[in-house]
Amino acid sequence: MALPIRYHWRNLLVRRTTSALTILVVTAVVGTLTWILGFFLALQSSLSVAGDAHKLLIIQRGTTSETNSAISPEEFNRLAQLAGVARDPESGEPLISPELYWQTQLPRLRDGGATRANVALRGVTLRAFEVHRNIRLLGERFSVGEPQVIVGRAAAAQFAGLAVGDVIRIGVGESREFRVVGHFDAGGGPMESEIWMYLPAMQSAYLRNGYSSVSVRLEDPASAPAAIEQVRSAPIELSAEREADYWRNQTSNVRFYQAVCFVLVAIMSLAAAFALANTMYASVAGRAREIAMLRTIGYRPHHILLGFVMESVLLSLIGGLLGCVACAAYLELVGSTKDMFGSSTFTTMAFDIRLTPLLVGWSLASVAVIGVIGALPPAWRAARTHVLTALREP
Amino acid sequence: MTLGYVLLQNLRRNPLRSGLTMVAFALPMAVFVVGISLVLALQQVSKANEAELRLAVQNRIALVNALPERLRREIEALDPDKRRIVAVCGFRWFGGRVPNTKSGIQSLGADPDTFPIVYRELRWTDEEEQSWKRDRRAAVVGSNVAAQYGWNVGDRVTLESTVPPYLSLEFVIVKITDATGRVNGMYLRRDYFEESRAERGFRNPGCNVFWLRCTSIEAMREMQTLIDEHFANSPNETRTMDENAFAASFTEALGNLPGLMQGIALVVVFIVALVAGNTMMMSFRERTRELAVFKAIGFSNRRVFGVVLSESVMLAVVGAAAGILPTAAVLGAIGVRMVGFLPITSLTVSPTAIVIAMCIALSVGVAAGLVPAWQAIRLNTVSALRRVG
Repeated sequence: MALPIRYHWRNLLVRRTTSALTILVVTAVVGTLTWILGFFLALQSSLSVAGDAHKLLIIQRGTTSETNSAISPEEFNRLAQLAGVARDPESGEPLISPELYWQTQLPRLRDGGATRANVALRGVTLRAFEVHRNIRLLGERFSVGEPQVIVGRAAAAQFAGLAVGDVIRIGVGESREFRVVGHFDAGGGPMESEIWMYLPAMQSAYLRNGYSSVSVRLEDPASAPAAIEQVRSAPIELSAEREADYWRNQTSNVRFYQAVCFVLVAIMSLAAAFALANTMYASVAGRAREIAMLRTIGYRPHHILLGFVMESVLLSLIGGLLGCVACAAYLELVGSTKDMFGSSTFTTMAFDIRLTPLLVGWSLASVAVIGVIGALPPAWRAARTHVLTALREP
Repeated sequence: MTLGYVLLQNLRRNPLRSGLTMVAFALPMAVFVVGISLVLALQQVSKANEAELRLAVQNRIALVNALPERLRREIEALDPDKRRIVAVCGFRWFGGRVPNTKSGIQSLGADPDTFPIVYRELRWTDEEEQSWKRDRRAAVVGSNVAAQYGWNVGDRVTLESTVPPYLSLEFVIVKITDATGRVNGMYLRRDYFEESRAERGFRNPGCNVFWLRCTSIEAMREMQTLIDEHFANSPNETRTMDENAFAASFTEALGNLPGLMQGIALVVVFIVALVAGNTMMMSFRERTRELAVFKAIGFSNRRVFGVVLSESVMLAVVGAAAGILPTAAVLGAIGVRMVGFLPITSLTVSPTAIVIAMCIALSVGVAAGLVPAWQAIRLNTVSALRRVG
């Protein structure tokens, strides 16, 4: 029979100050860990949503992003020969979406407009809504005859002047006024940070007659390598990428920071393990007689070992929960919105750090591991307590 | 019996605890010193920028919308007697990369005549300035970029531009600079760049940003409003800001790493304070009787206070040193090169950071020792001696 949980709970209560100080150490570590983990998970999930296996993104050769890509109408026409493209079930037309991509700078709401973010503008035809299947309109769609735009949910939440009914000025010399008529959802993907409008309207605002990129919906994701090869070779001679690969490359600039942050957090977690070990050793040393007592009334060494590990895990889980609460409070009070440059689009991807069950699960799991690591050496010592010697001690 | 002897005996009495505390102290302090070094390095960059008295003029809507190059003359005409502006230099984004590599280099075309003046801090020798002005293919490269690709002065390098019309141009490196904040950049001549663009039919010479060097802070403030007012309601409305405001939008767009580091550093201070406090509390509780004996045999209150406090301080300082010094040595030896947008050469620990970290360790040590030391003074000798265990 294992030692009852109540026994451990009381032990923690008896050493109130020490327990509280140790819990606070864990709280601080876990709070930081949760925030950093949340930051990268949010970025990651935003990108993984973008990975529709059916979609190919076609840009000019020699460039790495839509921002710097230019595709002429002639080049676009050559894409009609591309094999394996899905077709509209009614009209039978191929699902190819020519798009114009540019950017405008809008004030960030979270710092009251002290800094501005580069927000992407995308000109699309109505075909785009069939190619990008994850776009869900929340409200109206722009009409093709009026100067109107729709705004992604994340952009509307993070940048100023994008509420329904607001007017934004775009085009060469900010010459055109476009009214925001609705918002849209892209399942949390990077397109939620964009502003969409009717392609011909945007072309005329920017005095352009070509496109930036072309999105294509394939009938069968398996035909992607063949299609990429066909785009690359004559006579099309452009560059194609799977959508997921494209967005993954856009985060190459944060990988380094991600690595640095994780190393720092790992070191801090290790420190927490040492702090726990310190507390547990003291606890073991102070309870030698008590442990010997437990042994004499029939508890086996492995019960004692397990007991101390549990006590430490209990300690660290309380710290972990408090850490998650602290992180939640921080996000609530200081703000949870973030945005990040694509490494070559130079447009921003807005996301929201949220305390998802997955995130809390990860944090608590890591803190439990810290608890076990910190407890094992002292628990081992406790389990090997020599009963007679310990009982004889004053 | 000296204080030093008592201290050493106390630390050796429970070597396990002393060891664990030191490690629990050393690890977060290592993190702290790295984080604070990064923050300090960036502060140094922004201080250096401030001293250069530069203003950036960009398109009001977006940096990618180039302004026509003739705006440089218009800006210069705003200060005809050159009382406020030293020089104006136009920059256009080249977005170059070495052929067959994925990552780009922050490369910009700069007006050849004024670049050496506006970027005076690159410390030009006469020879370098002459070769920059003589050779149209001249390029100035930041030391980080040069190290990354193994370039030296005099090398010919080919770069592909990732912006239309996707030029592929050859450059001759005339200068490698390690000036603060310029180590991750590359500068080429805009006239060469624009001519090559024009050959491809792109006849719209322009600049993404004009950098002005001003004569004083007051001149800067004046020009900032003057320029934006001048271009208001024109087809080319501008937004003018100082260099640090310009840089801030990039920092923010990169996830605000400096802010993150500051946050982590704060948390670390909190953690080490708790660790030290915990240890001192445990060790005081175990030694209550012993301290009572000290007092009984005639140690003064001050001395007892000193014994407890200095033990805490020593633990903290030795622990911190054990974390900081190896970190500084290791980072100095392997040299993690900082790539990307942050204008820093490498992740190293600066002496200032070490001093700050040690001061913090010292104060944490004092703070953690104060409560037990106070308790030691107020200890009732008789009842403490009577206590068992």
